[in-house]
Amino acid sequence: MRRVRAGRDTLDLYRQVLDHELIDCEDLPCGTVDDMEVEGSVGESLRVTALLVGPGAWGPRLPALFAYLARRICGTQIVRVPWREVAEIGEKIKLCSRAAPLGLGIKDRQVGLWFAKIPGSEKSVP
Amino acid sequence: MNKILELCLGILTAMGGFVEIGELTFVLNAGSKFDYRLLWVVLLGVIGIMVYGEIAGRIAAVRAQPVFNVIRERAGIRLGLLTLAAATLVCLLTCAAEIGAIALLWQLLSGWAYRPLLLIALVFFLLVIWFLPFKAIERIFGLLGLLMIVFVCAAWSTNPNWHEVATGLLPSLPPGHSDQQLLYAYFAVALMSSVMLPYETYFYASGTIEDKWTPNDLQFNRLIVIVGFGLGGLLAAALLVVGKQILGPGQIEAGLPGTAALIAATQFGRAGLWVSMAGMFFAFAGAAIETALSCAYNTAQFFGWPWGKFRAPRQASRFVLCWIVVLVLATLVVLTGVDPIKVVEYSIIFSVVILPLTYFPLMVISRDSDVMGVYVNGPITNTLGWIYFVLISIAAASAIPLLVLTHGGQG
Repeated sequence: MRRVRAGRDTLDLYRQVLDHELIDCEDLPCGTVDDMEVEGSVGESLRVTALLVGPGAWGPRLPALFAYLARRICGTQIVRVPWREVAEIGEKIKLCSRAAPLGLGIKDRQVGLWFAKIPGSEKSVP
Repeated sequence: MNKILELCLGILTAMGGFVEIGELTFVLNAGSKFDYRLLWVVLLGVIGIMVYGEIAGRIAAVRAQPVFNVIRERAGIRLGLLTLAAATLVCLLTCAAEIGAIALLWQLLSGWAYRPLLLIALVFFLLVIWFLPFKAIERIFGLLGLLMIVFVCAAWSTNPNWHEVATGLLPSLPPGHSDQQLLYAYFAVALMSSVMLPYETYFYASGTIEDKWTPNDLQFNRLIVIVGFGLGGLLAAALLVVGKQILGPGQIEAGLPGTAALIAATQFGRAGLWVSMAGMFFAFAGAAIETALSCAYNTAQFFGWPWGKFRAPRQASRFVLCWIVVLVLATLVVLTGVDPIKVVEYSIIFSVVILPLTYFPLMVISRDSDVMGVYVNGPITNTLGWIYFVLISIAAASAIPLLVLTHGGQG
């Protein structure tokens, strides 16, 4: 993974962060950067404060009809991942913590419980 | 030694998994209706799938990034979501057609009713994907799909005029009025789409990550796509030859998988019938599994969910739920009684529309030296990639008008 170090490289947020996959500290995929929260006002420099993950963050980026459908089908949940949680930026964005404490991957764990009683659900078959 | 064995198995698997019900039907009918005049499209399509398959495999091996991860990253959520929705619909329809075709094959063998056989096929696929490892699925269905080679033998045994066959490698319009030429154009677009079906690229790239390929495996990647897909193309060409030689004189339309089985039976008797039925079963079953898994791979990769057969189902639960839902929906589609061959014809025509949306992000990322480093496209891949991008864009723009003008390929 190519690392970006503050002060040495320029970070293109649109190309290098937005729509990139998030992985937690154990390399488990836990979402995609759907939007970003930025702080600042006119005359000041802007600062990214958090990554936004979840269907609720798609709305402003989609045409009105798609946004409506996405809201109806997928809901409006947004998980806010503070910028300080970002450990590395490369092809994937690695976080410092595990997914669960950040509120990411909850649906996976819920659906996983449905499968728990089926034989073979705990066994990986590479 | 192990590496050579792996390579041979990879090549044979790529060849065995090349043909599915849509390609079988279109290629046989193309031979029956237009003699060898569409052979050049098969060649064109095979080179196209080699180019994009190699690119997708290389990106996956170098960056561990599958196709829909790249699409999301480069095309953004708007265009990406549109591509995902279209790809899912096309894969779902293709999966439905494969399940329907398998039930039709079983019906020929057993004489049982069609609908209960669809449900048995659904249970079969659920059990196979749940319990079998990725490698086993890939190998069993890919290698046993090689029984389709019986059609290469059948083509050879019909003693075709090889000069005429070679002439078919150059584009030429059929004689007759404009309706016939429109139908020729429709078949050319459909044939190209059936050879370059996008799910092949999705599945191949995801499989590269399932098999944990690294940049050290890039030579493998190149050899497998060139030799494996090349041999698959030979199989498709053989089907076109038998379509011309056996179906052409009687103007027979290959509307059912049984027609293809009869071709083998006319050449090799009962043994040919059994081998072709078994080959078709494994080829169609492989395609059904690949399309169902491709839907799940695409969705999980787009939204950043854990995915892959290398993870326990409980750890990649939404990925598993996706392929289960796709298999159930695909079975419901064919349970309505719709003709699976009609379903696959539409899915192939709609597939061509999403080809440019799928391949443009791949081209952009694979030629970007910032992200690919020394593994960036060479001049040949770049040139071929963009030429094919123009060709598939033209095919995409003309697919729906041709579908309407030819009344769904009826002329």
